[in-house]
Amino acid sequence: MSDIVLLFSQPFMQRALLGGILTGITGGLLGSFTVVRHLSFFSDALGHSTLLGLSVGIVCGISSPSLMVLPFALLFALLVTYLIEKTDLWTDALLNLIYSSSLAIAVLILSLSGESQGNLHSLLFGDILALKTADLVTSGLLLLVCSLFVGLTFRTQMLLTLDEPLAIARGVNLWLHRNAFMVLLSLVVATSIKAIGALLVGAFVVIPACAARAISRDFTGYVLWSAGLGALSAAAGMLLSGAFNLPSGSSIVLAQLVLFLMATFIPKISSFAVSFNQSKPKL
Amino acid sequence: MTLVPLPNLPSPACSTVLEVNQLTVRRGQQATLQDISFNLEAGTDVAIIGPNGAGKSTLVQSILGILPREAGSVRLLGQSVSANRPIPAAVRHQVAYLPQNFLVDRRIPLTVGELVALGWDKLGLQLPWAQRAVRRAAVKSALERVSAGHLARKFLSELSGGETKRALLAYCLVRSRQLLILDEAPAGLDVRGEADFYQLLYELKAEQGWTILQISHDLDMVRKHCDRVICLNRRLLCQGVPEMALAPESLSATYGPEFVRYRHHNHAC
Repeated sequence: MSDIVLLFSQPFMQRALLGGILTGITGGLLGSFTVVRHLSFFSDALGHSTLLGLSVGIVCGISSPSLMVLPFALLFALLVTYLIEKTDLWTDALLNLIYSSSLAIAVLILSLSGESQGNLHSLLFGDILALKTADLVTSGLLLLVCSLFVGLTFRTQMLLTLDEPLAIARGVNLWLHRNAFMVLLSLVVATSIKAIGALLVGAFVVIPACAARAISRDFTGYVLWSAGLGALSAAAGMLLSGAFNLPSGSSIVLAQLVLFLMATFIPKISSFAVSFNQSKPKL
Repeated sequence: MTLVPLPNLPSPACSTVLEVNQLTVRRGQQATLQDISFNLEAGTDVAIIGPNGAGKSTLVQSILGILPREAGSVRLLGQSVSANRPIPAAVRHQVAYLPQNFLVDRRIPLTVGELVALGWDKLGLQLPWAQRAVRRAAVKSALERVSAGHLARKFLSELSGGETKRALLAYCLVRSRQLLILDEAPAGLDVRGEADFYQLLYELKAEQGWTILQISHDLDMVRKHCDRVICLNRRLLCQGVPEMALAPESLSATYGPEFVRYRHHNHAC
């Protein structure tokens, strides 16, 4: 126990814990809408596609991955939104098309350039312990912007999630809201990649929302639970990682999975127990 | 066969709620709708009839800006509705639209109370808890009016077809409106459910003074309730009172002669 306290007294662990919680809240907040809008695959696809941004950056001699990943994420979001509007293709098929192509081109560029692939490893698996104060400021600002966006347009987002034609008939600007949401989601995913890695970033968006769906009694509660479970799983995962010296990103995703299983099965087990007890003949 | 358009009925209320002029909608190279013009007077109940693929849903969706239109103009409560812009703020809360087969993803954790509250909200930038007490009272009142107060905490996924329709009527009712646009609203209900739906709809129409534009395949209901009928098959074939618009020659032009023979045979039986 004292080892854990000592570990979390280190500034790098405090930054990692805070970074995980900020990312968890933001991912859960936007994830709640992402999941019910059938965009779960978007964060995964974006995570994988940022490899293309990074590989172009490596070839161009740009040392900071963020300088390439953020603009690339924005471009990706706008391209996906444009293609969803302009083609009759299914969203998941379209995302698969874009991310497979980006990944293939990224691998080709890297293999042809023969550059060091150290950055590639950190992009794939992330390193939450390497977060700097500037990263926390960026995550905090993003959380603030996302909270304001969701908070101030909450009713509009609900109606858009329920039925787009119904929202348009009420004067909602679909194009504006769709693009704003996609851009914010892209920025959240892109900034989270440094901490969590491209392979696991999708979990931060999807799993807390799925857990929240199982325990919430209305839509407002669902969104709040999703953000809360995102933060809780990040804190629990960091403790797990510190206690057993495990990789942080994977530990957080494991904590998310445990919360999801508890949220899904504990109510079912307790309702089964209640109905079993009621059906038992009284002696 | 070419029909001479029937004259519009003079309406007891003079104010025009909706004006559609020479509206044309294209999908690809083909015109889905061509030169559609009609007016909707306040307090009237107008039905759009026509076969599948006639462009009925396209017409109402292009009026509301859900689908783009190639030509023509739409004025809603005196305000011009641009082809590629949201409905003007001044009139957007005066209109309620219920789409065909309201097929929401049943896994969305939205309660009936929240759905009805969405009908009350003005959807601008606002804090989520703004006017909470007023909204809650309006939702309660609307749900009780449609005998659905007990459904407020239920998820949409837990509702039967009839309960869903009542929740949607509460969504329309929760705020004072002038125009209801219904796209086959009772679709999916059985005969009893459909009768209950229309009974409630027309009770509410009498109370609220709604103007209704509805797409319907139920010609008997149209004959019984509607003030005017628009016969559509990619272009406006005729419009007038039900007795004229539902006459065999109008129906024959709209649906084809086989339909009239079939309908005549069934009614004779």
